[in-house]
Amino acid sequence: MIDVNGVTCRYGDGSDDGAVTAVDDVSLSVPDGEFLVVAGANGSGKTTLVRTFNGLATPDAGTVAVNGTPVADDLVAARTAVGMVFQDPRDQLVAATVGADVAFGPENLGLAHEEIDRRVAAALDAVNMAGRGEDRIASLSGGERERVAIAGALAMEPDHLVLDEPFTGLDEPARRSVVDRLRERRRAGTSVIVVTHDLRDVLGLADRVVGLADGRVAVDAAPEAAVGDLPGLDVRVPAGAAGTRAGETSASDP
Amino acid sequence: MTLSYAPGDSLAHRLDPRSKLLVQAGFAAAAYAYTTPRGLAALTLLAVACLSFAEGGPRDVWTYRFAFPVLALAPLVAGATLGAPWFRPERAAATGLASYRVLLILVVAAGYVRSTPVRESRAALQRTVPGRAGQFLGVGVALVFRFLPLLKRDLLTAREAIRARGGGALPVRDRMRLVAVAGVNRAFGRADRLGTALNARCFAWNPTLPRLAFGRGDAVALAVGCGLLAAAVVRAL
Repeated sequence: MIDVNGVTCRYGDGSDDGAVTAVDDVSLSVPDGEFLVVAGANGSGKTTLVRTFNGLATPDAGTVAVNGTPVADDLVAARTAVGMVFQDPRDQLVAATVGADVAFGPENLGLAHEEIDRRVAAALDAVNMAGRGEDRIASLSGGERERVAIAGALAMEPDHLVLDEPFTGLDEPARRSVVDRLRERRRAGTSVIVVTHDLRDVLGLADRVVGLADGRVAVDAAPEAAVGDLPGLDVRVPAGAAGTRAGETSASDP
Repeated sequence: MTLSYAPGDSLAHRLDPRSKLLVQAGFAAAAYAYTTPRGLAALTLLAVACLSFAEGGPRDVWTYRFAFPVLALAPLVAGATLGAPWFRPERAAATGLASYRVLLILVVAAGYVRSTPVRESRAALQRTVPGRAGQFLGVGVALVFRFLPLLKRDLLTAREAIRARGGGALPVRDRMRLVAVAGVNRAFGRADRLGTALNARCFAWNPTLPRLAFGRGDAVALAVGCGLLAAAVVRAL
């Protein structure tokens, strides 16, 4: 469970005049196993909000707790429990080969070699890249890099997986592949939090949609109830989405 | 192209990184001890062999091209005098041999880099140098090898972006200024993003290091490394 309580985040020079409030007094909870979509236009505070979940951003006010422990009290626990996939996977991949990159997180946790090998194999299998551990990161396509980034997060065996704009720059097959991977995570019981301004791919998977505008929660409802309000937040929704579960239909499905 | 680890199954790939580090150290020592054309010719064969064992080639050496002008100019500068005879070939030749020596060391280093994953280099350093000094060195090597290729790619992207908008027609000085400014900006941004990525993935000073083990091939490499070091010491005495 992720508990966000009255979180406010500001950017700027520290003065009241120069500071920009990215997240403004946001409170929400993400139960285990939930598929949550955090939607909003550019600059609405989505990324800053989810970065507080594992301590990559520090709130100026309010608290965030993961599994009952305040994030600030145990950053390693928070970063282990909340896996993060960045908007641009190139910012996240730190090794030359796929296997080395996926192993990077578990190695930092000080796990035994056998456990690291098991996690790397399982994570690559989960993103349909089994047996490609020796592939060079530089030779991968955008979609494959996204999947390696997801595998790197999965190798930490997180309770919650956060993906920041995971479909940016991906072609249709790559988008479908990522959606399939997210659907599998949902079935596996991992709570998935997708940050996006385009709900066409994930609305059908969502249990709940939180819409942000100017750093505040403007919508917090089930997809069917939220979809009518989302276009007002400059968020793209599937055509005729009201009352449908469009994302449940993927071209890779039979 | 940036020189970086290339997965493979070559002889050099199968060697323990500690053996390869010893060969490098021995080679560098020998290159500084044997500065005659004959000595450097022998070391040339060894350097080419080291790169070949890593399945490397001229393309890897070409990644050092930014150093070539400096290495080439050094003998000319060393040989030049302010008065008659204006140029002293013997001094230029000595410096030319020194430049060539540096090139040979870079060739051997290229073989190491393309055959050794960053985390194995880190493990080798941390196991060879005990304590915090080893951790510091290991982390430093790991970060430099992770950061430099990213920075190089950013610089190339900046250069392409400038060319794409007609910047290719600008004077060299202006192009250099634009790429330098963009490069510095991107370096700071890249460092920030890399730091965030490392934080998100629980970057640790004492992670589980990859398994390292000496094999049969390492015996030969260790013998070569020790032999080179011994030869350098004998020469110095």
